Amino acid sequence: MENNRPTIGKLIIVFAVCCLVIVVAISGLTIFSETDSGAAQQSGVLIAATPEFDHKGSLAMDRYNRTPDAYITGSSSERTLNEYYSRRQYPGSPPFIPHPVMGKFGVDEGCATCHASGGFVAKWNRHAPVTPHPEMLMCQQCHVSPTTDKNFVETQWESVLKPRLGQSQLPGSPPPFPHALQLREDCVACHAGPGAVTEIKMRHEPRGVCRQCHMPVPNVEPFSRDL
Amino acid sequence: MDLTRRDFIKTAAINSALAAATVLFPGVTFAAWKESGASFGSIQWKKTPCRFCGTGCGLLVGVSGDRAVAVKGDPNCSVNKGLCCVKGYHSVQALYGKDRLTKAKVKKNGKMVEVPISEALDLIAQKMKETIKKHGKDSVSIYGSGQWTIPDGYVASKLFKGCIGTNNVEANARLCMASAVVGFMTTFGLDEPMGCYEDIDHADVFITWGNNMAEMHPVLFSRMVANRKRRKNVQIIDFATRSTRSSLASDKSILFKPQTDLAVANAICYEIIRNNWVNWDFVKNHVSFHKGKTNIGYGTEDHFKFKDKLEKVDWNAYKEFLKDYTPEKVEKISGVSAADIKYLASLYGDPTKKVTSFWCMGMNQHTRGTWINNLVYNIHLLVGKISSPGNSPFSLTGQPSACGTVREVGTLTHKLPKGVVANKAHRELAAKIWDVPVSNIDPKPTYHTVEMFRALDRGDIRFMWIQVTNPMVTMPKLKRYRDGMKKDDRFIVVSDVYPTPTTDVADVILPAAMWIEREGFFGNSERRTQHWEQILPPQGDAMCDTWQIIEVARRMGYEKQFPWSRETYIEDIWNEYTRFHEGAKHGMAPYKILKQRSGVQWPFVDGKETKWRFNAKYDPAAKGKGFDFYGKPDHRARILLRPYEPAAESPDSEYNFWLNTGRVLEHWHTGSMTRRVPILNSAMPSAFVEIHPDDAAALGVVNGNQVKISSRRGSIVMDAVINGRGNPPRGMVFVPFFDEKYLINEVTLDAFCPMSKQPDYKKCAVKVERV
Repeated sequence: MENNRPTIGKLIIVFAVCCLVIVVAISGLTIFSETDSGAAQQSGVLIAATPEFDHKGSLAMDRYNRTPDAYITGSSSERTLNEYYSRRQYPGSPPFIPHPVMGKFGVDEGCATCHASGGFVAKWNRHAPVTPHPEMLMCQQCHVSPTTDKNFVETQWESVLKPRLGQSQLPGSPPPFPHALQLREDCVACHAGPGAVTEIKMRHEPRGVCRQCHMPVPNVEPFSRDL
Repeated sequence: MDLTRRDFIKTAAINSALAAATVLFPGVTFAAWKESGASFGSIQWKKTPCRFCGTGCGLLVGVSGDRAVAVKGDPNCSVNKGLCCVKGYHSVQALYGKDRLTKAKVKKNGKMVEVPISEALDLIAQKMKETIKKHGKDSVSIYGSGQWTIPDGYVASKLFKGCIGTNNVEANARLCMASAVVGFMTTFGLDEPMGCYEDIDHADVFITWGNNMAEMHPVLFSRMVANRKRRKNVQIIDFATRSTRSSLASDKSILFKPQTDLAVANAICYEIIRNNWVNWDFVKNHVSFHKGKTNIGYGTEDHFKFKDKLEKVDWNAYKEFLKDYTPEKVEKISGVSAADIKYLASLYGDPTKKVTSFWCMGMNQHTRGTWINNLVYNIHLLVGKISSPGNSPFSLTGQPSACGTVREVGTLTHKLPKGVVANKAHRELAAKIWDVPVSNIDPKPTYHTVEMFRALDRGDIRFMWIQVTNPMVTMPKLKRYRDGMKKDDRFIVVSDVYPTPTTDVADVILPAAMWIEREGFFGNSERRTQHWEQILPPQGDAMCDTWQIIEVARRMGYEKQFPWSRETYIEDIWNEYTRFHEGAKHGMAPYKILKQRSGVQWPFVDGKETKWRFNAKYDPAAKGKGFDFYGKPDHRARILLRPYEPAAESPDSEYNFWLNTGRVLEHWHTGSMTRRVPILNSAMPSAFVEIHPDDAAALGVVNGNQVKISSRRGSIVMDAVINGRGNPPRGMVFVPFFDEKYLINEVTLDAFCPMSKQPDYKKCAVKVERV
């Protein structure tokens, strides 16, 4: 156990290294993205891939950069975890749309008006939750709007327990994230701002490099050398 | 930020109760799922193709204990790259409807009684033997589906065609893909698309022909839309008979009158030639011209027969033929402005643009379905935009294994796993692999689907085994075929997972293991074979469809042909089946590789998949440097002279509306699975009829009024929707077919394409009255 206990010093070093890597990566990306790829290849310049690596870690940072601190720290206490799960059929299922869909949209710009970057919606008297995947344009491909709660036939569906919050390894250590990252790579979208679910809202100074401290729920198998 | 966490949660509860009261729909409350007690961390993820449409998305199903509990998109699957649609995300819930069939049932004294499954299987074998003895081998039949896994279809074909010796093997894909198949066969000589979904990432222009992809192939549609956003120069053109979600998301929507796509396709070719946009190099080296019969009928009468006869013609004859299709003449037929026709032609004709055409049921469920498939290929062949990345005439499939099972295994009356029954060499190969005397395999096809149900009605067929499909919702002109099934001295076996209108008319019901409750393979629209292992135990006595057929075959005395063990039969069947497809043109990946990967495309040659066929750069079977259409003896694709001919039944003064039928995003086919998924049912609880606002006003109908839709065959009463999700033009109504309570096929007509024998569910004449 002693080896697992990180010291403050180690944390600071890890943080510093991460910052350095991220700064270099971001400045690198900016330069490469402005370079014409054909010309770049000829001149032997390395081409950065699309920022798909590390579970699209850049998405959270991008969102953080373009969201004012006042919004990130803004709180509303409107949405609870219970309400959050009442819109889902299992942990991670696409939530249904809990309000009538106004107007008809092909590409769902309509949804993006409120759900791309959030804000207060007078009509519903609530803050809109922010989508973690605004690059997906056909919202109603996955999110549908119920018109009845009567089942055609009763269901015997059941799923696992809702993921437990907290699960910190040590008192006060950063909690790991209990869900898969696919389509939810942008941490800031759901964990910050007045549209966020109260129980899972960021409770510390605003930051955009979430995964330097928060990691997936640790594997239950302890490490052992494979001798 | 000065609240404590505890205060925060306390106020949150109060506020959210208030807010929820103002936000949610009145009366609609949805509970979170029932919790099993297992932790989130107990979930194991297993790969499988989706159960539903022909896109073939890769899913990762989350399993906890012996239950499926969650779904993710499979990021390793190139089809969907980790994204699904609302049906896919909730697909596993379709396993858990409370009325799952878990026991075999047999009709005794007019009542269905639960019996041990072995007793039901004994009875099926006995009835088949008796019926054959009394009425001959062609009095027994099997009717399967594009949802049959590859092993299901393979053993069905082996038992009926190889052992019993009848060609009474059909599948619901006849209602779905037959025109696409005959289109491919007549133009190229080989079935299935030459391109693949990766074309979406290369094309500059997408033209969708009568195809509401945003609802029917949502994962592919959103991939087009994402490309448009990313690459800026991409255009999507919707060419359709009704305005849909796809129309709204497209850059331009062009409406045409039903059936006149034939005329417009020819007009596009006329314009391409007039403007000299023809790719001469391609046409001279890779294309030949042929003319077939015209005025070919509609098949509405029993025993209808048609055989096309092709005659080779030259370029001048083709040019002469097209003179009837100037944009100005076609504007009068189609309602599409000459300017729009010229615009479409300019998109196909522009040498700097890569063009992909997509279509599905709009072109296939068409009394000239084969012809319109041919005509769209004509366009692509004239400009040489084919078989290369982004240049792709792409026929989409509706069912998960319409390609894999029905088309590749050949579960159609005239087909064998390789080739056709009429061909001696093909019969000999089948007899060799199946270990049966070649004389067993009848060289004469019997009945295509519509005619098979007619034969059942007439009494030529006495026994039918139906697996994985629900014809008592989907057959056109339904009443005749339902009455036929109910006749005395007909014996109907239905294998399914839930009670349906088809199990309602059964004499024996076999409970089937569904999807991931057994091992299997599907084959999707882009020649991709997808394997999944058995992930869950079957419920109750439910048995895999393949094994049901094996059990009956053994009871009929065919142990030698069905020798496999319960542990390895799926693998053994795969190894036997793929012997049919050996070689560069259709080689299939070995079992071991399919087990590892999220789908593999055929032809699979020397360890490599083939993304684009008929192009030597990508296809090892293509000879030379450029294109090689090796499906035809002269290695040329065919431009076919196919005229415009009207629909079987058009609106007149009494029946003055077109009736168009189809699907919706939430439900898959007859809804027997998706309606048991709570969120899908709640978003789309019942069928409706869409009416144009001006027609509704003329009828005095407002949203929610009941209207009666009647044809010469029957009528139904249902709720009207005005300005709903889709909007038909004036003079047309649209009804989805998923709802067994509103059987729109009581109203439809059983006219079909004389070449493909696929019925036209998109056009018949009805009258509409306010109730």
